[in-house]
Amino acid sequence: MFEEASEVFDNMFKTSFPLTFIVFIPAVLILVSPLPADAAHEFTVYRMQQYDLQGQPYGTRNAILNTEARSVEAEVLSRRCVIMRLVDFSYEKYQKALRQSAGAVVIILPKNMSTMPQDIVQQFMELEPEMLATETIVPVYFALEDEELLSIYTQTLTSSPTQGSSTAAEVLLHTATANGFQMVTSGAQSKAISDWAITSLEGRLAGVGGEDLPTIVLVAHYDAFGVAPWLSYGADSNGSGVSMLLELARLFSRLYTYKRTHAGYNLLFFVSGGGKFNYQGTKRWLEDNLDHTDSSLLQDNVAFVLCLDTLGNGDGLHLHVSKPPKEGTPQHALLRELESVVASQYPELKFSMVHKKINLADDTLAWEHERFGIRRLPAFTLSHLPSHRLAERSSIMDVRSVSPSSRHGAGLPPAGPHVDLRKLSRNTKVVAEALARVIYNLTEKVNAEGVPEDLQIFTEQMQVQEEQLSSVVDWLTAQPRAAQLLDKDSSVVSTLEHQLGRYLKDVKRHYVKADKRDPEFVFYDQLKQQMNAYRVKPAIFDLLLAFCIAAYLGVMYLAIQNFGLLYSVIRKVTQPKAKTH
Amino acid sequence: MTLFHFGNCFALAYFPYFITYKCSGLSEYNAFWRCVQAGATYLFVQLCKMLFLATFFPTWEGGAGVYDFVGEFMKATVDLADLLGLHLVMSRNAGKGEYKIMVAAMGWATAELVMSRCLPLWVGARGIEFDWKYIQMSFDSNISLVHYIAMASVVWMFTRYDLPKSFRLPVTVLLGLCVYKAFLMELFVHMFLLGSWTALLVKALLTGVVSLCSLFLFVTLVHSN
Repeated sequence: MFEEASEVFDNMFKTSFPLTFIVFIPAVLILVSPLPADAAHEFTVYRMQQYDLQGQPYGTRNAILNTEARSVEAEVLSRRCVIMRLVDFSYEKYQKALRQSAGAVVIILPKNMSTMPQDIVQQFMELEPEMLATETIVPVYFALEDEELLSIYTQTLTSSPTQGSSTAAEVLLHTATANGFQMVTSGAQSKAISDWAITSLEGRLAGVGGEDLPTIVLVAHYDAFGVAPWLSYGADSNGSGVSMLLELARLFSRLYTYKRTHAGYNLLFFVSGGGKFNYQGTKRWLEDNLDHTDSSLLQDNVAFVLCLDTLGNGDGLHLHVSKPPKEGTPQHALLRELESVVASQYPELKFSMVHKKINLADDTLAWEHERFGIRRLPAFTLSHLPSHRLAERSSIMDVRSVSPSSRHGAGLPPAGPHVDLRKLSRNTKVVAEALARVIYNLTEKVNAEGVPEDLQIFTEQMQVQEEQLSSVVDWLTAQPRAAQLLDKDSSVVSTLEHQLGRYLKDVKRHYVKADKRDPEFVFYDQLKQQMNAYRVKPAIFDLLLAFCIAAYLGVMYLAIQNFGLLYSVIRKVTQPKAKTH
Repeated sequence: MTLFHFGNCFALAYFPYFITYKCSGLSEYNAFWRCVQAGATYLFVQLCKMLFLATFFPTWEGGAGVYDFVGEFMKATVDLADLLGLHLVMSRNAGKGEYKIMVAAMGWATAELVMSRCLPLWVGARGIEFDWKYIQMSFDSNISLVHYIAMASVVWMFTRYDLPKSFRLPVTVLLGLCVYKAFLMELFVHMFLLGSWTALLVKALLTGVVSLCSLFLFVTLVHSN
């Protein structure tokens, strides 16, 4: 058969040249064609943080993944992709996977984080900083749970070989029936993003009454942080601070439009970027204002700087200072006003001052006011958190998660950090009242003119609007707000700029780019990828299959060889019938 | 999965053809070139069928899960052209009946195998993803070899002038079964919601029954005169 075939081909090629092309080119094309990618399941994965801060690497250093999936219970994890669910996640298991030099770790998060039990959320939140604290060589990915992914997970669980007890036949059967999964990411290796600009926004309300007025600075950083940038929504930290800042801008801009209520204080609003990366935006802003320009509101007569950080929840307010304010300073006045407003209007609220010295030996600053404190500006941070170390400030669990029940106060609140709108608006009211009392110097007037002690300024038409706060928080938490994702063209920045422009004058952008030679911060790309899970079988399965096919073909050969037998049997059967014809 | 898996599927699909070619004695008749001609006829007939379908059957965009019974039936009717094609191949070959039938069926089935299974196997079975459907496809190609041999023999019997009157009806019924077999299979799968393995089994059984019946008729016819 083959000799004849070769003859035919020979003739074909000798006689007609174009025919060679027609036969050969498709053959070559087929041979070099890339392998197709119709995966069993394709899903989006979010990579763990990868950044350098002050030359120190953090997070995972790798993005490429092409290994077989295993559950963490499997015996051999080396060069395998370990799949875990959040429910079963623990630091020991994570460390075990890394110690056994796993190829990658994929953590499956539930679609709706707020349904998770409290302790699991709390535990994971505390692990997040630990996972980021050291550099991890292998890629770590997070995926959101869906049915396909769950079934892949359960199949991986069952396919990890059971220990000892099973017989060889069972193992053999197991290899034939069980499915393995090859996890493959589509993206390239992660690399540093050059020339990344962090944007900060500034706006002001000028006071009246002569030159050299004192300035009050209100600051909130708008970026969020979590173990995976694409999952960092940062509702409480710091969506709440930004929304409060916008609301204060709205209230005071109304007061400043009327001549009678136009005060003798300049109000400077600053929405800073890169707040979770050692307050890079604030740092650059201070350098720009103090070192490079001649005239700036920050250079002369700053009454105080009030930083707003994580204010959307809790029943306490903590004023973090690096140096206790002296009697007679505007700082001390604000502290006193805050105390008296809380005492007279919200006795259930616990207000306290927390004193922590700036520790320059630390890698990162604790609170935003320390950036100002280093430059000798009187500053403090207001937060409902008693300590800067709390995991609530840097967790992917910090999401909006509005369920109808929690909005109306009934039902259980979500497990993780979240924004309670009523508390946010209460805190906003406290800050606004205290600020107004300082600006208009009301306490002295209380004593002198008999204005009642529990005077409220922001009531009726001027009251804090909960809907306003809620819409800002909703909008801020509608997209992930990690600093790596918000460049200068992003909608978050431009919308913030627009919002500030509605209330304030001279809204300006400030960019901070890392130094080329000695960068303070470096971000990396490939933070969101498509991952494919291909169903695969072990090599032993192929051998088994080859054996079965060989046996089948042997049987076929025998059957065709002995076709004559069947033929004669049929002939015998039909012969009597044939005779009747 | 791997090249090895592709090799497995390829062997499963092609070796029965090779064995049949060798064992049926076609190689001794120097029939290779004739088989290639039959394959060429197959290509020509498929092209005509496609043109016809594309011209006269508008694409039916019904809702998902709705089975267009009449439309599928009409489409299956176009497969009658296969019978004509097989007849054409056999009428151009001189020789004994068995020889004619085997040449036509082998050429026809091999052409189909090369045209419609080679590429999917190469592309699919070599990919990373494992799927049983390539093994099933290979089994299916074995079944279709038997199917075409039976079909060619029925066509041969049908076109004989000395076919006894009593044979006319069963041969016609078998012809109909051959043509509408794919349609019937689709109907079964749709009605009983068969899994892919069960469907393959049913197909094998159906083909087996049809080919046994045609073998009976063939033996009776050949040895009756």
